[in-house]
Parts: sequence; structure tokens; C-alpha cells
Amino acid sequence: MTTGATSITDPTMTDVPAVQLKGVSKRFGDYTAVENVHLDIGENKFFALLGPSGCGKTTTLRMIAGFEEATEGVVMLHGEDMTGRKPYRRPVNTVFQSYALFPHLTVFENVAFGLRRTKIPDADIRSRVEQMLDLVQLGGRGAQMPRNLSGGQQQRVALARALINHPRVLLLDEPLGALDLKLRKEMQIELKRIQQEVGITFVHVTHDQEEAMTMADTIAVMHQGRIERMGSPTEIYEDPRTEFVAGFLGASNLMRVDVTDAAAGKVTLANGHELTVEPGSLTPGHSQVHLGVRPEKINLVGQGEPVSGNAIAGRVLDASFIGVSTHYLVETEAIDNLAVVVQNLDDRRFASGDSVLAVWQPQHAFVVE
Amino acid sequence: MTATQLENSNTSTLRTAGKVSTIAGIVFFAAGFEIIPVSILRSPWDLLVPLILSGVGMTLLLATIERRSRVPYYLLIPGGIWLFAFFVVPMFRLINVSLQEGIFPNFEFAWAWDNYTKLFTDFLAQGRNSLLYALTATVVAILIAYPLAYFIAFRGGAYKNLLLVMLLMPFLMPFLLRTLSWKIILADNGIVVEVLKGLGLLADDGRLLATGVAVVAGIVYNFLPFMTLPIYVSLEKIDHSLLEAAADLYSSSVTAFRKVTFPLSLPGVVAGTLLTFIPAVGDYVNASLLGTPQQFMVGNVIQSRFLVVLDYPVAAALSFTLMLVIVLMLLPYIRATGTEELVA
Repeated sequence: MTTGATSITDPTMTDVPAVQLKGVSKRFGDYTAVENVHLDIGENKFFALLGPSGCGKTTTLRMIAGFEEATEGVVMLHGEDMTGRKPYRRPVNTVFQSYALFPHLTVFENVAFGLRRTKIPDADIRSRVEQMLDLVQLGGRGAQMPRNLSGGQQQRVALARALINHPRVLLLDEPLGALDLKLRKEMQIELKRIQQEVGITFVHVTHDQEEAMTMADTIAVMHQGRIERMGSPTEIYEDPRTEFVAGFLGASNLMRVDVTDAAAGKVTLANGHELTVEPGSLTPGHSQVHLGVRPEKINLVGQGEPVSGNAIAGRVLDASFIGVSTHYLVETEAIDNLAVVVQNLDDRRFASGDSVLAVWQPQHAFVVE
Repeated sequence: MTATQLENSNTSTLRTAGKVSTIAGIVFFAAGFEIIPVSILRSPWDLLVPLILSGVGMTLLLATIERRSRVPYYLLIPGGIWLFAFFVVPMFRLINVSLQEGIFPNFEFAWAWDNYTKLFTDFLAQGRNSLLYALTATVVAILIAYPLAYFIAFRGGAYKNLLLVMLLMPFLMPFLLRTLSWKIILADNGIVVEVLKGLGLLADDGRLLATGVAVVAGIVYNFLPFMTLPIYVSLEKIDHSLLEAAADLYSSSVTAFRKVTFPLSLPGVVAGTLLTFIPAVGDYVNASLLGTPQQFMVGNVIQSRFLVVLDYPVAAALSFTLMLVIVLMLLPYIRATGTEELVA
């Protein structure tokens, strides 16, 4: 597997990539928004660019769409160099964050806008628009003005308006950002369904890790203009590799450890307590690394009980019962606030003040260098 | 009858009574000015009767509205009083005067329709001038103001406010001085005439001053901000992502302008047209300073009838007719372009 923050290839890629970024950078004056990004996105993939605001994900998307020109590097679509190509000449369409529906046109005309720029006869436009409105479950709403639709409906008009042109790549700029939680969940499933139905490459920009995990085949996590980690949702979650990704995607407990035997996977905490990690996960050359464990991978048992795997002793600071699970904060020798999530399989629960052992299996920990 | 039905029938009776009383008040008010042939009111004090009548009527109407939704109507009161005192009353007075006859200062109300029929024979030329100059000036103003507003709104950047101030700067100078300076610009031996003659665009004995061109130029110049600012406002509030969306949907910048920017700026064009055309039709300063009696507009006639000839009835008839013509001309225009967008 390749490492390094800037040159990563989507492992699920086939043939000519739908979207390819080669060493793309974007600078606005002194400020570097995107730095040396290499990206290959395969045909018919649902690809997510994930990151906090200001990480350069939207700028990256805008460079693919043609609204921004890369300062350095090349954007390729299906093997064709897009440098200097105006947005209206690129085989992509965009769903904008604020939808950007034309307020003076009906829903029908909004959706038909792209087709009207071509030589397609009126009758065909009519039937295609109606078909598309049905696909996004807005059949019969064509005569309405966008302002009379709800946020979710407007969002679907924006989607239909882009999809009707059969772009080879559909770009989505935080398309669900303005929706409430319930609608967002529905639209996530809806988007995924539509993507599978139309078989178009989707490039989705979002800051919502759950959204990215729900929908995307491949996620690229961006941070300060660079791609920190790219892979399938499970890969990234189970092995985030950098501290930023570990913190951004779900919660992690990070412990500073000294490497004592890289080949055998032996590390020690500052107090000399020995822990084991999977032997392959330590790369030689690092004497000090961070060991990360997800809260749900840790189990709590009473002090003195027999355990297998890694165990560190601690005292429960706080326990909150939230139905499906109980969330604990445990003060340990390695880390002050060890977060632990235990499924409520039985009614054995600890109260704050209890002395416990936090236990996890070596293969469930990851290493951050 | 159930209680609600009783309630409902009470409300509708109240509403009818209110309407009847309000309309009766207005009719009697008109009668007070003798502009309808019911002359039961004789002294100015008798005008109190219709005022009380319509006051009672409006109170009754208000009573049919739920207490909570009355507030907006109360808010109308100050503006309503202002409009009543300075628009409704003078207008009744104007109609009244327009139907009087006699010699200054002894005018008598006499149903003198003559004053109106006279207009169509005596002042047709000025009426034609008014419409022609105002229409031309409005079109020219749109042609100048639109690119100007477009530039400030989309390319102004950090200098937007400075550019707007520069646009308004000439208007810190008095209206008359501004118009008079056009006399110098367009003078027979002035630079503009010389250049046009040099280019062969103007005959050797041709002139600009004292022609319709000069009057139109003066009107365009004086009303340009009233055209530019509304267009600027409507362009300025266009969401930039709409233009990106148009580009994304295969529109070149020309198509994007035609299909998105221009339709969205129409409310500004309509507002600017109203703000320019209405005052321009009635304008008389430009025609009297930059033109000759041949270029005189309706405004010039009204001014001379009121202040020079002291023929109040004809002047009033002219004023009222001008108002009617403007309203009748603009109604279809506003309806076609949509009042909803105008206020939105």
C-alpha cells in the first residue's frame, strides 16, 4: 500500500478514471487552498471528499467543474485534459450547495435548462423532464415555482436539473447541508439509489463523516488543502493512519507509546506497561507512535477478573446510559479520559468510582505515526 | 340559527353597512366639490358630513376584522391622512377647477367639458412632444444605465460604493445649473457640434441646441440616476451561483445573460422606467431651457396656463388628463412585467 499524504490511488479503480487530478494546487494570493492533490476516481463510483470547512474540498470540486482554474497540475475527465476548458464545455454537472435554482423559471424549465441549450426537439425535452421529475419523486410539480417548494423538494429539483443532461460525472457540493436531520437521512439513501440507477460517477463534497460513510464507495479525507487518507469507509475507519483522520472520523482514544519490538508488535506506555499491537502495523524507524483504539472496541471488566488481550487499569469517572449502549469515561494510567462504549448486552454496568480494567484485542488497535 | 351563523350574519351586515357608509362618504365628498351633480352641500364646513360618514364606515369595516389583525390597518392611518390631505383633496379640487369657466379671478363651476375637448385641438403638438421625448429619453436612459449598473454591480469590486457616489456626484449641483450647462455643451459652436460636423454626422448648418435632441439629452442626463439605481439594485442581488449554475448547464456567458441575468434584472428596469418616464412626461425645464416653443411639452403648457395666462380651468384639465394618460399607459406595462416582482 502506498503511503504519504499526497499521492494515493483509489484501489477500486478500473480502466481510465472518470476523474483524475494530477498534482493539482490552487493558490489565492498567498493562501494555498489546495496543495498537490493526486486523485483517481473510477467510473460509476460514489466518491466523497470529506473534511472540515476550509480544507479545500469545495475548491477541489470547483476545479473539476471548471469554476476555478488550477494554479498547478492537471484536471482530466475520462482521460481528457480540461485545462482552460470553460465550465459549459465540460461533461460534468453540479448540484450546488444553495441549489441555485433559477427563481424566475418553473420547476419544469429549471430541469429543462440544460437540454434547451442543445438542439433536442421540444417533445423530447418534455418527456425527458417528466421522466426525470418522476425519478426524483416530483412528478406533477413541473408548473410550480421553486420558491413554493420545500427545501428537500428544491434539493431534488437541483439534482434532476443536473442529472437530466446525463453528465459523465455529477458533482455535489454539500447538497444536503441545508436539510434537517431526518430529511438528510432520507436523501442520503435516495441519492445512493439514484446513483445506482443512473450509473454515473458521483463526486460528493461533505463535512459530515456519517454522510460520507453512508453513501460513498471511496472517501478522501482532506485537511489543510491535502488529502490525508483515501480508501473505503471501513478501511479509513479501522486504520485512519493519521491523528487528524482518527479524530475526524468517529471518536478515538490515542495513547502515546514507545516501540520496544516492532517485529513482534510490542509497545510500552510511559509507565512501562506493555501492550501488543498487530505485528505488521508498526513500520520500522519510528521509536514513538500513537496507539489508537475506538471506544466501541474496548470492553470493561472488574479489577482482577481474567482477561485476554491488552488491558489497562482505571477508575470510572462518568457513566451515561443511552439505551443501546452505555458511554463511560475512564481515568487510566495511559490516558486521562478514555472513552468506552459498551453495548448493553446484559445488565452489568459500572458506576463512577468503580475500579475497572479496560480491555481490547490487539487487532482492534491502530497505529498513528 | 346557531350562534356562529348569527355571528356570521352580523359580521356581513356590519361589513355591508361599513362599505355603504364609506362609499357614501366619498360620493358626498365629491359632491362637496361639485364634481358630481348632487349639490346638497353648500359651505366648506359641510365637507365634515362626508368625512364623518366615511370615518364611521371605515370604523365599521375595521370592527369586522379580528382584533389581532387590525394593527396593520392602524399603521396605515398616518400615511392615509397624508395621502388624503395632499393627494385626494387636491385631486378633487383639481377636477373641480378643470370644470370651471370664467376669467381670472372669477371662475365659476359650470360643467365646462369644453376645457377638455379644447385640449385635443389646441395642445396636440405638445402632447405628442411629451410622449415622444419621454419615451425616447427612457429608452436611451435604459441603454446607458444598464451597462453602467451592470459594470458597477459585477465588476465594481471594492470600488462599488465609490462608483455609486461618482454616479450621484453631479446631482449635488442644482437642477437648473446642471441643465443650463448642457446649453454650453450643445452650443452651436460647442465641441459636440464641431465634432459631429467634422464626422459628417451633422449638416454644416445643423444644430443641436433648440432641437428635440437637446431636450431628450437633458431629460436623459437629469433622470439617469433614477434609472441606474433600481437596475443596479436588482443586478446586485442576483446570486452569483445562479450564473455558475447556468454555465454548468452549458450556457455561454451571453446565453447566461439572456436567460438568467436579464430576466432577473427586469424588476429594476421596470422600476427605473417608471421613475424616469413619469416625471419625464410632465417635465418642462429641459424643454424650456434647451428647446424652443416648438419643442414645448405638456408641462410647459400647464406651467404657462397656470402661472402666465392664469387660465386655471384649462391648466387643471391638462394636468388631470396627463395623469390619466400616464396611468392608462403604464397599467398594461406593469401588468405585463409583473407587479409581484416589482415589490418583491
